[in-house]
Amino acid sequence: MIEKIKPSRSEKIIFIFIVILAIFSFSSFFFIKNKCLFIKNYDPKNLEFNHPENIAILNVACGNVIIELYPEVSPKAVKRFKKLIKSKAYDNIAFHRVIKNTIVQAGDLEFGKKGYLDYGKIGTGKSGLGTINSEIDTPFDFDKGSVALARTKKYNTEDSQFFIILRDEPLFETEFTPIGKVIYGLEALYKIKYLDKSEYVLRPDFINSLRMLVN
Amino acid sequence: MKLIILILLSSFISSQIYADTIYNLIKIPNLEIYDIKTPNKLRYFYAKQPFTLGIDNNINCYNSKKEIIDKKYKIIQKNLNKYSQKFLKKINLKYIVLCEDLSISKINTAGIPDHVMKTLILDVKFNEKYFERVIHHEVFHIIYDSFEELFNEKVWTNFNVNEFKYAKCSTCTDKLGLDTYINTKGFFSEYSQSTASEDMAEVFSHLMIEKKLNNLDPILEKKIQFIKTNLLKIDENFIL
Repeated sequence: MIEKIKPSRSEKIIFIFIVILAIFSFSSFFFIKNKCLFIKNYDPKNLEFNHPENIAILNVACGNVIIELYPEVSPKAVKRFKKLIKSKAYDNIAFHRVIKNTIVQAGDLEFGKKGYLDYGKIGTGKSGLGTINSEIDTPFDFDKGSVALARTKKYNTEDSQFFIILRDEPLFETEFTPIGKVIYGLEALYKIKYLDKSEYVLRPDFINSLRMLVN
Repeated sequence: MKLIILILLSSFISSQIYADTIYNLIKIPNLEIYDIKTPNKLRYFYAKQPFTLGIDNNINCYNSKKEIIDKKYKIIQKNLNKYSQKFLKKINLKYIVLCEDLSISKINTAGIPDHVMKTLILDVKFNEKYFERVIHHEVFHIIYDSFEELFNEKVWTNFNVNEFKYAKCSTCTDKLGLDTYINTKGFFSEYSQSTASEDMAEVFSHLMIEKKLNNLDPILEKKIQFIKTNLLKIDENFIL
């Protein structure tokens, strides 16, 4: 005859603890996998803008990033940016240079296109429209969310590449040509893929689309 | 011991990349912002630790005490505020690095100008007596490097008497005195006689410090006119 043994109190506690741990592990597996879980996706249709003609919507994996462009600060740069947006040139272009909590950079139309990535040359590509002059004389606060055109080490080499800063960078004023600021959805950019040991990203995230609110 | 090596190794392997904006801009390590809200948009940094530069690591400078930096900064800013933002942009000067015991190939120097990186490294403890003049002297080297075609050394050398010859380089001579001559004879100081560009820098720095220079000889008068004319070619609003 098998004697029935009643579990002790401490055994019961351990059992409950293991069950809770299993539930927590199982659920967190799904939560952690979804990197966009707590990121709010902004719908521009539900928002009001003072200058809708200067609103650009950058769609990335975690939702919309809404950028207000400043043509009064840098008219040539904004004109170039709008032209490329209207031709849908930025769609499926990689965020090839990303530093955690610092900067995301994209816009290499030549070597950063999904399916045609060239890791050896990414960051050096051109748009085919030629370079434009730097517009750095107007005072501009390079605070978190500022958007600017990238350039080579020399001034007046801006083309299609742009970056968005994820922290304040006051030293960028008079160094880089500002084109606008993120007004909604900056948190989606913190989820863009980065590497711990390199600024340049292997198997990077891509821009889904970049559109003007008003065509 | 093995455990320590293992810990060190794992901390190295797991270390993340961090963005050092100052280093990315001017390629000088170990700097921190001192002041960037200045009227002419010059950005001042100070060395928080010693740094080494150059292909052969031949440029060295050391961190200075805060009170020394604070004291010298006031003097440096007062003098550099004489240059407008527009002029500084034209000559390519934007970043000022403050440190002490600055040397290049173990030779102490007041400053190292680099117009390509838009940077001037200044030794805050170099020559207390002529500190202010030295600041402008170093600024002139930035001007000269950015507009070498304007400051023609042959034209300049011809201002001197025929028998006079400059040394091959500023460190190839023992003419290093910075005291201003009472009897000038074509040169403001002993150091003026080292090279043509140092001579120009000495004329410029004297002009920036001394507004009224009296009893000058005809050679120095020509040199002053040469400097003034060319500065106006760079910026028509430049006032000496």
